[in-house]
Amino acid sequence: MRGDAIHLDAVTKSFGATPVIDAITATLGGGEFTVILGPSGCGKSTLLNMIAGLERLNSGKIRIGVREVQDLPPKDRGCAMVFQNYALYPHMTVEGNIGYALKVAGVRQPERSRRVAEAARVVELGGLLDRRPSELSGGQRQRVAIARAIVREPRVLLFDEPLSNLDAKLRHGMRMELSQLHRTIGATTVFVTHDQVEAMTLADKVMILNKGRIEQFDTPHAIYYRPASSFVAGFIGAPPMNLLPVTGGGGVLRLDDGTELARNPHEGPAILGIRPEKISIGDKGFAARVVYREDLGSHTAIVARLSGGQEVQVATPIGMHLDPADTITFDFPQDHLHLFDPATGLRLETP
Amino acid sequence: MQKGFYSGRWTYAALVAPILVLIFLFFYVPVGLAFFWSLFLERPFGGGSQFVGLDNFARVLSDAEFWDALKRTAIFMIVAPSLAIGISLMLALAADRGLRGSSAARNIIIWPKAVAGASIGVVFVFVFNPFLGIFAPLNEIWPGFWNPRIDGTDAFITIVVAQVWNGIPFNFIILLSGLQTIPDTVTKAAVMDGASPWRRVWDIQIPLLTPQLFLTFVLEFVGTVVEAFGLIDTMTEGGPGGATTLLIYKIYVDGFKAYDLSGAATQTVILMLFVLIMVALQFRLEKHVKYER
Repeated sequence: MRGDAIHLDAVTKSFGATPVIDAITATLGGGEFTVILGPSGCGKSTLLNMIAGLERLNSGKIRIGVREVQDLPPKDRGCAMVFQNYALYPHMTVEGNIGYALKVAGVRQPERSRRVAEAARVVELGGLLDRRPSELSGGQRQRVAIARAIVREPRVLLFDEPLSNLDAKLRHGMRMELSQLHRTIGATTVFVTHDQVEAMTLADKVMILNKGRIEQFDTPHAIYYRPASSFVAGFIGAPPMNLLPVTGGGGVLRLDDGTELARNPHEGPAILGIRPEKISIGDKGFAARVVYREDLGSHTAIVARLSGGQEVQVATPIGMHLDPADTITFDFPQDHLHLFDPATGLRLETP
Repeated sequence: MQKGFYSGRWTYAALVAPILVLIFLFFYVPVGLAFFWSLFLERPFGGGSQFVGLDNFARVLSDAEFWDALKRTAIFMIVAPSLAIGISLMLALAADRGLRGSSAARNIIIWPKAVAGASIGVVFVFVFNPFLGIFAPLNEIWPGFWNPRIDGTDAFITIVVAQVWNGIPFNFIILLSGLQTIPDTVTKAAVMDGASPWRRVWDIQIPLLTPQLFLTFVLEFVGTVVEAFGLIDTMTEGGPGGATTLLIYKIYVDGFKAYDLSGAATQTVILMLFVLIMVALQFRLEKHVKYER
């Protein structure tokens, strides 16, 4: 099975006067795993619901494959959905839950059981078919919800924060399984989350939404290494990228108090971004004071204060002993600098 | 059982005692006395009573009027609750779907709950008056089409309508609150599975509403015995020709109008057993109630 591409064309939605989705245009590749990522309230679930048909558009068009679907009811769009709290039918058995869509569609009994068993096998639910949802664990319920979605062999699979109710260990396991499942069934997958780890690990492409607009729509690699805006830079990474207001001139970037941070040909004000793990600590560069330290086993995270009062997060290799109030010397390597426009937040390409 | 909120066990006893005394004095004692009296022949103006064994039961059970009243009670018990719950369910489903005007309707439907049974009776007597009420125009076209004072069926319909009207507000509140506890995402999942609104009513909403349906059914059932009295007394006084004499009203008339105290006590016992059996049957239905969420 091969999924259809989803084309969003100036899709707009507002509740009252507030735009929730502001003229989004994008193409979600057929058979690809697209993650929609953003802070709460950015409109990501609304966008998913509009693709599913659970919410109407104010304007714009959605095409799935070659069909325009914005005016079709959900059942005619060929989409299936997995919900955050599983949304299983509590009064039906696992078999009844998985088979309900087939029953509604009028699929007759031997065929229905066969397809339910097949879907249950894919998500490894065999042997639980006559249980009720209340007798299942969180992970098992999640599998039922996924089986219910794939049993109709949809062209498009939609996930609305499906892993956020699971504990950390289960979540990691389900992430791997979802990734494998996607490769097996090949449907176009749209996955909404606010968890950047899910986005970075699962996605072929990540769409980062902020206030109803696309900040960046690219591969996880590009999003991490070439963030398109200071919002993306500050949203991705744990701890996130440091962002410092600087002014460029004479080949160097300086803080307001004149401290020289790095060499760069940019002229005029800018936002300087640098990832915590790219900052090197040594004997050349500029001074900072350690204000806080966290030992995380694999590395140590420190917060240091620069001479102008700005706080910078740094990830240091293990074995470096730093205590609060120590003075250290930072260097920002030139290759790892990101510059953003202070007014628009957009990435500046340095010549 | 959780212990330890109060230090001494007598504190519990003292706190529960008042209500236990009240229940004992005003429920168990009268019920016990009814059983006791049903075995005696009481003199209406006092002066001792005579043990007659089961003679009272033999007398009551061989009385055709008793059987008629029991039959009417059974019909009333089935028709009125079914309508009261069926109509409430439709209203609740509509209000839950958020159809236009549903929030206003929600308030208006609840108001009648604040009206006493006897007042409803008085109002309905007027509403159903053959010459002044809502059916008066029909009587002008077809004389004698509607007259609950003469026609027994019309009178029975009047009582049923009043009882149903009386029951709707409470059932509506219970059923609507039940519908609103069904998670939004379950409804959305059913939409994604392709179920039409009607299909969702049958496959999702009603099955998940069974606890509330069961509750309203049991309460409605008991209400047909308890509340119907006030309606009959104010609207028809059991007439015309006994067409609206349910067992509860017959007991009142036999006991307090005809001073057949033993007969009334005997019929009370039978009515209690009847209601007990009906409720027991309903609790057998409880197997099918889905409490899981």
